[in-house]
Amino acid sequence: MTPKKVLLTVGTNKRNLELLAEFLGKGGYRTLSVTGLDEFDRTLEETQEIGLALVDISGFDVGIWERCARLREKHIPLFIISPKHSAAIQQESVTHGARGVLVKPLVVRELIGIVSKLIEDSE
Amino acid sequence: MQTSSSSRLSTGIAGLDEILKGGLLPSRSYLVRGGPGTGKSTLGLHFLIIGVANGETSLFITLEETEANIRRNAEARGFDLNGIHFLDLSPTSEFFVEVETYDIFSPAEVERMPITEKIVERVTALKPQRVFLDPMTQFRYLATDVYQYRRQVLSFLRFLVEQGATVLFTSESSAEAPDEDLQFMSDGVIELNREEQGRSVTVHKLRGSDFRPGKHSLRLTSAGIEVHPRLLPEEHVHKFTMEAISSGVPELDEMLNGGLERGTVTFVTGPSGVGKTTLGLQFMKEAAGRGERSVVYTFEEEVEVMLRRAESINIPARTMVERGTLHVMKVEPLRWSPDEFAQLVRHQVEVEKARVVMLDSVAGYRLSLRGEDLTGHLHALGKYLQNQGVVVLLIAEVADVVGDFRVTEAGISYLADNVVFMRYLEINGELRKAIGVLKKRLSDFEKTLREFEITRYGIKVGKPLTGLRGILKGIPEWVK
Repeated sequence: MTPKKVLLTVGTNKRNLELLAEFLGKGGYRTLSVTGLDEFDRTLEETQEIGLALVDISGFDVGIWERCARLREKHIPLFIISPKHSAAIQQESVTHGARGVLVKPLVVRELIGIVSKLIEDSE
Repeated sequence: MQTSSSSRLSTGIAGLDEILKGGLLPSRSYLVRGGPGTGKSTLGLHFLIIGVANGETSLFITLEETEANIRRNAEARGFDLNGIHFLDLSPTSEFFVEVETYDIFSPAEVERMPITEKIVERVTALKPQRVFLDPMTQFRYLATDVYQYRRQVLSFLRFLVEQGATVLFTSESSAEAPDEDLQFMSDGVIELNREEQGRSVTVHKLRGSDFRPGKHSLRLTSAGIEVHPRLLPEEHVHKFTMEAISSGVPELDEMLNGGLERGTVTFVTGPSGVGKTTLGLQFMKEAAGRGERSVVYTFEEEVEVMLRRAESINIPARTMVERGTLHVMKVEPLRWSPDEFAQLVRHQVEVEKARVVMLDSVAGYRLSLRGEDLTGHLHALGKYLQNQGVVVLLIAEVADVVGDFRVTEAGISYLADNVVFMRYLEINGELRKAIGVLKKRLSDFEKTLREFEITRYGIKVGKPLTGLRGILKGIPEWVK
C-alpha cells in the first residue's frame, strides 16, 4: 500500500534529488523535491501531508537551519544529509530538530529502512 | 587434456593462433591485459571481425571509449566493422555537466543496475558467440567492495558463457589497482607489452590447453596486429637427403670431402675483405645451376653493391635474382625483432623453397636486430634451418688480419657443424690468402691449407700449402 504522506526532499543538486526520488519511488514512496529556500518556504505553507523531510545541506547557507527549525515546529520528522562526518554539523542538526545525520554516499537499502520505519510511526 | 585445433576459435591473428595451438577454446573467458597503447582493443577487433567473417554474432561492449571513436579509429586502419554489434556504455559528455553529477549515492548504487540491465537485455536478445568487453576493470568502480566486485565479475562471465559466448575482456592494471583477481577468474591470460626492445605478447594461462610459453614479437601496423611466434626448431622437422652440395670449385670440394652437407651450419670466418661472402656466393652459384634457390641476408652491405661485386668475379648474381634462384635482402638496423626475422626466413624456406641461406654477418645479426638473447635466437634459427635440410652459411669476421688464430669472436662457434677459415698470409713480402677447414662434423676433411684467390674468372683454390710452418700466425716460413 502506498503511504498517504509525501516525503519532502531538499537539496541544491537536481541530480541528487532525482536519484532520491527514483530510489524512494522504487520503495513505494512519493516525493516532493525543492531546490531553494524560497521554494522550501512556499512548499511548507502549501503542503499539509509531509510525513518526513530529508534535507541535503550541501550548497545552502545558514538559512537552512531556520527552515529545519520550522519543520520541527510543524512536527515533521527530518534527517540531515551531510557531505562529511562533522561534529559541528551533527550538533547543529540536533539543535534544529533533526532525528539524525546521514553521511553521503547513502546506502539505498539503509535509507529505505529508515524512511520506512519513520513513515510507519508517523502514520 | 588437449583439444583439437578444429574446435578452436581463431583470434583473427595467425601468429597468436599458433601460440594458442590453434586458437581459443570456445565458451570460455579470456583476459587481455596490458598498459595503454599496447593493442588490447585492436586485438579485440581482430577477434570480432574474424567472428563476423565466420558467420558468428559478435558483440563489442565498451565501457570507456565511445562507439563512434572506435569506429573512426578502426576505419582509419581499414578495419571493416560491418556486422559487429556495439553496446556503448561509455559516459556521455552530459555526464560532465553539473546537473548530471551526483554524490548522494555511490556509483555502485546508481550505475551498476542500469549497466547490468542493458548488458543482460542485449546479450539475451543477440545471443552472441563472441563478446569483447573493454575494460572489465570499470566494474571495479561499480562495486561497493572487493568481495562484491569479484562476485559480480564471476557471475557476469558465467552469464555470458552460459549464453553461448566466448569472451575476451581487457583490464587496466596499475600498482594502485592490480588485476591479479581477474587473472584468477579467467580461463586464459594474454598479456601485451611495449618495451624498449619492441612489442611482445605472452600467454600466461590457457585452461584445458597447451600453449607456446615465452615472449613473442608483436607488431602494430596500419593493418592491425601481427604476431611472430618465437621459433621452436623441433616443430619444424622436415625429411631431407643428407647429401653434400658442391661449391663448383673442385679443389674446395676436395678440402670439404665433397662439399657441405644439407642440414648443416657452416661458419665462414676470416678478416675483412678476405672473401668470405664471395665463398658463400660461390656455393649459391652452384646451387642455382641445380635450379635451387638461395637467400642472402646482408646486414651491412647494400644489395646493389653485393650484386655488382659478385658479377665482377663471374658470379651472375643479377641473373640469378631475375631467375628466382637468388634472393638478396638488406636487413635494416633495428627494424626487425629476432622473431620477425625468423618469420622472414621461414617464408623463404617453407614457401619460396630456399635451400641455401647465408647470414652476412653474425655480428650484423646481433647489432641489427632488436631484443635480448640474440645468441639464443640465432641458435634457434640455425637449428630450424638444419631441421629443414637447408645449407646454412654464417659469415663471421675476425678483427685481426694476421696474428694468433681465432675461429670467431662471437663466442658462438659451438653452433657450427663445419668451420671454414680464411687467412691473409705474408709470403716473401707479398700479401696472399689461404683457406682451410677446421671442423667438419659429418665427414673427414683435408687438414692442410690451400692458397685462395679471387679473380675476375671466379674463385681459384690452389694446391695444398705443404712445406710451410706458422701459417695460422699469418707469417709462415718455408720449412728447410
